[in-house]
Amino acid sequence: MKEPRIITILRHGVLLLFAAIAVYPALNVLSISLRPGNRLRSTDLAIIPENWSLDSYVHLFTEQPFLRWMGNSLLVSLLVTLTGVCLASIGGYAFSRFKFVGRKAGMLTIITTQMFPATMLLLPLYVMIARLNLVNTFLGLMVFYTATALPFCLWQMKGFYDTIPVSLEEAARIDGCSRWQTFLKVTLPLAVPGLVITALFSFMTAWSEYLVAAQVLQESDMFTLPLGLKSFQATMSTQWGLYASAAILVSLPVVIVFMLLSRYLVSGMTLGAVKE
Amino acid sequence: MMPPRHRQSMISARWTTHRIMNRSPLQCGSARLGSTLLGVLILFAFGCGESSRQTQVTLWHQMTVGERQLLEDQIRVFEKENPDIRVKTLYKETEELRSGFQAAALAGTGPELVYGPSDSLGAFVTMGIVGDMAPWMERVDLEAFIDQSLTFLTGPGHEQTPWLVQVGDRVGNHLALIYNRNLIDAAPKNTDQLIRFAKEATLDKDADGRVDQYGLVFNFVEPFFVVPFITGHGGWVFDSIDTNAVPVPALDTPEVAAALQFVRDLQQKHKVIPAGCDYDTADTLFKSGQAAMIINGDWSWSEYLNSDTIDAVVAPLPVVSSTGIPMRPMVASKGYSLNANAQGREADAAMTLVQFLTGAESQRAFMDQMKTLPSRTAILQKALSQEDVTLRASAAQKANGLPMPVVAELRAVWDSMRPNYQALLGGSTTPKQASSQMQAEAVEKIRRMNERREPGATAWILQLLAVLLVAGFLYWQRHNWGKLLGDWKKNRLAYLLVAPAILVLLLTIIYPFLYNVVLSFSNMSLRHFQDWQVTGLQNYQQVFSETTFFWVLWKTILWTVVCVFFSVVFGLLLAAALNGPVRGKALYQVLLILPWAIPAYITALTWRGMFDYEYGAVNIIANDVFGLPMVNWLGEPNAAFAACIITNIWLGFPFMMVIALGGMQGIPGELYEAARIDRVSRLGQFWNITLPMLRPVLIPAITLGTIWTFNNLNVIWLVSNGGEPSDKTHILVSYVYKAVFNLYQYGYGAALSMIIFFMLLAFALIFLHRTRATEAI
Repeated sequence: MKEPRIITILRHGVLLLFAAIAVYPALNVLSISLRPGNRLRSTDLAIIPENWSLDSYVHLFTEQPFLRWMGNSLLVSLLVTLTGVCLASIGGYAFSRFKFVGRKAGMLTIITTQMFPATMLLLPLYVMIARLNLVNTFLGLMVFYTATALPFCLWQMKGFYDTIPVSLEEAARIDGCSRWQTFLKVTLPLAVPGLVITALFSFMTAWSEYLVAAQVLQESDMFTLPLGLKSFQATMSTQWGLYASAAILVSLPVVIVFMLLSRYLVSGMTLGAVKE
Repeated sequence: MMPPRHRQSMISARWTTHRIMNRSPLQCGSARLGSTLLGVLILFAFGCGESSRQTQVTLWHQMTVGERQLLEDQIRVFEKENPDIRVKTLYKETEELRSGFQAAALAGTGPELVYGPSDSLGAFVTMGIVGDMAPWMERVDLEAFIDQSLTFLTGPGHEQTPWLVQVGDRVGNHLALIYNRNLIDAAPKNTDQLIRFAKEATLDKDADGRVDQYGLVFNFVEPFFVVPFITGHGGWVFDSIDTNAVPVPALDTPEVAAALQFVRDLQQKHKVIPAGCDYDTADTLFKSGQAAMIINGDWSWSEYLNSDTIDAVVAPLPVVSSTGIPMRPMVASKGYSLNANAQGREADAAMTLVQFLTGAESQRAFMDQMKTLPSRTAILQKALSQEDVTLRASAAQKANGLPMPVVAELRAVWDSMRPNYQALLGGSTTPKQASSQMQAEAVEKIRRMNERREPGATAWILQLLAVLLVAGFLYWQRHNWGKLLGDWKKNRLAYLLVAPAILVLLLTIIYPFLYNVVLSFSNMSLRHFQDWQVTGLQNYQQVFSETTFFWVLWKTILWTVVCVFFSVVFGLLLAAALNGPVRGKALYQVLLILPWAIPAYITALTWRGMFDYEYGAVNIIANDVFGLPMVNWLGEPNAAFAACIITNIWLGFPFMMVIALGGMQGIPGELYEAARIDRVSRLGQFWNITLPMLRPVLIPAITLGTIWTFNNLNVIWLVSNGGEPSDKTHILVSYVYKAVFNLYQYGYGAALSMIIFFMLLAFALIFLHRTRATEAI
């Protein structure tokens, strides 16, 4: 069915306005990365600065272990995404479909872990990591990131499973599927948008986290990208060009991951799956 | 947590560090027993292949990118000379180095050496986390160093004999005047000239009513840059310039008031400094040739001198005309300190490195390339006899500087000066009032920082209460434990499915959480850093007795509600716009998630730039395009708070959009079809179908979004530069952060965090109960 013209115009109007608002500050970052002479600010509004140069980008790849950092970050983030999605998809399912003792308490406990200001946890966290010999390992970092991402992921998956009609599962059970088979073959495919969001969120958590990484990783070869990026920052003498160009490069994989995943967000997979 | 036990665990932890530093291949090998993936990972993580015969020295430093290269070169030479020592360096930003080192030292580990400015030494010594370097420096002729570069301090356990706690390799960090010879001919000799030259150089070239070139710029909002004006008027931040004296703030003086008056006049009367000029604005204006003079520190000079666009010259700060006293900047020494945990071979190796890096060769290299002033008298003399104009000017300025006090109290002074100074600039107070307010706050902050608190009567009652509480809880829930067991047999699958997630969560959070609970009842602070103990409820009393707490709480609630509301509304709006036949959907989506994709710690800074009074995009667009009045976004408390909120909404809406978009995929199209047949309007469809159907996914997002926003430190910190102006933009977490990291009030911070925790818990309980989100279907 064709939409009325006014609605189409409205859609584009809203999207254009917000796209502009979203893009402008981002373009500013690009502008800093191209600006010669290490300046954060500029007195004009030009996006492509005068005498722009790609020196910062060249420097990143030739004189800084940027690729190494990127590799570390990818390793950590992908593994966290994998564990996060696995644990959240099964845990969320249990929270959505089973009535067991301690369910409510469990769900609540999960979000209480997010309530304590993270900056105050750093000191004990470091003490713990040091005692467990996990300083300078990715393992400690990954466990923590998974724990950071999980509460949201679990709740989100539970919410998604809630939107999937139980009648579908019942039908599958009648057709002879086991509970586990039903979950894998019927429920999980329908929860794909939820899985995508869970994956994206877990990835972002690990990809951009900085504070804990700074506590755990204490060798520049082990740095993840945010740490590498922050190593260009210093009180009153930050290398703005490097900082900004690294930030642009850091966001590229996120955009790519999102592009790859986004078709699952707008495909409308469940349409017509159930008639109630 | 009694002191003796604590000490013991520190010793065992010390051995642990030793093991971490010299990992045996065996340890790495055992990891392979796990799954292949994990094995490879741990291998990668542990980094096998280090020879254990070498002693490893770790050095944390805060050198800039240019200096780091030079440091690496020096270390390569050192390693060649000492093949049995391997040096690992790690850069940390100044404040992070300080807090990271404190945490590491508390855990009994940390780098053998830290390199940084001398101003955190006072705290380090009081905490007992740096050691005496003198035994190793006996072979070195200490006479060869200038006085200020060797820091001797007394501390707990060595009240009579001062320890050598830092060996400096350079002195400096001092401010001077740099002028652009293209714009003015010579440096001003006194402040009358300064004002005259600056006025002459402040120009509106195209006569559009907007100044295109300013006479003078500097980090106008930061008290460190005001110090030379205070000294030039005959004052000082403490009542004695003797660095060994007990530090008593002396801010309530006519000299300080006169200096404040003078600085304010520069902007408001003489109008030679742009409004809201902070470090980055000043730096940018000077570098782009739009400012004739800048006051900045030695760390910045080489960039100015090497610039093609300007012809920069370093000159001493002028003499204050009304007093005849030259403006004297603070001079700090930078150098190496030894971790108190470093022992035996590691300590020996570390000190060999210190001797090398503070040696003549190394200092000369830094001086030649970085134009820093060396700490060895002989090399400094040579620098002065050289033709190098910059070094000479720098040395001259340094010679009339005053040594920066190394006491922890200086931090309390900065923290008291900053808000009142900014209030003065904002016009809400007079110089006289500001200076007396500064004094009062500094005295109070120092008192709190140095407070010693012994266990009170409440301490043992507390411990008893804790035991009773746990026992009571177990008793109260006694029926449920039995049920749990019975349920386990029935719902085994469910428990198995949630167990891994719960386990991961508990593993990471339980220890830090309990640690904080104990800490919140303790006296952990600057004076009780390693020997802290449970003292009672004092921290909680302190929180609730402060009126600022309630005011900040109200701001936090406002901040959270506004941010979450608009993020959700915009997110829903955009998701609704995207969820339908739109051309260029993919492109829109990618553009719209950019705020989420780009690291917030840089976009928040870009937003700060966009809110700049004269040069920021927000004011320029609002003023030029829409004709709205200019808003002093960063200089006016409410506007600055609004700026933080705007930035946070910008950062937050893409996330909500993605959630909503995902949720909309689960809504069966038939519902909309039926609604269309019933002629329900689009708005009606959204309200009656989309929103209710989105509930299950929106509620967790909103709950957690609220919690995250409530605890979001980054945006406030970066956009308002740590609560500016005048500490008026704080929310609870930034308020805690400041108390803990600037005044070392760990116990107080933990108590405040517990209060935050319980408020959020109450919110979650009420919200989730009302929305019935914990129900299964």
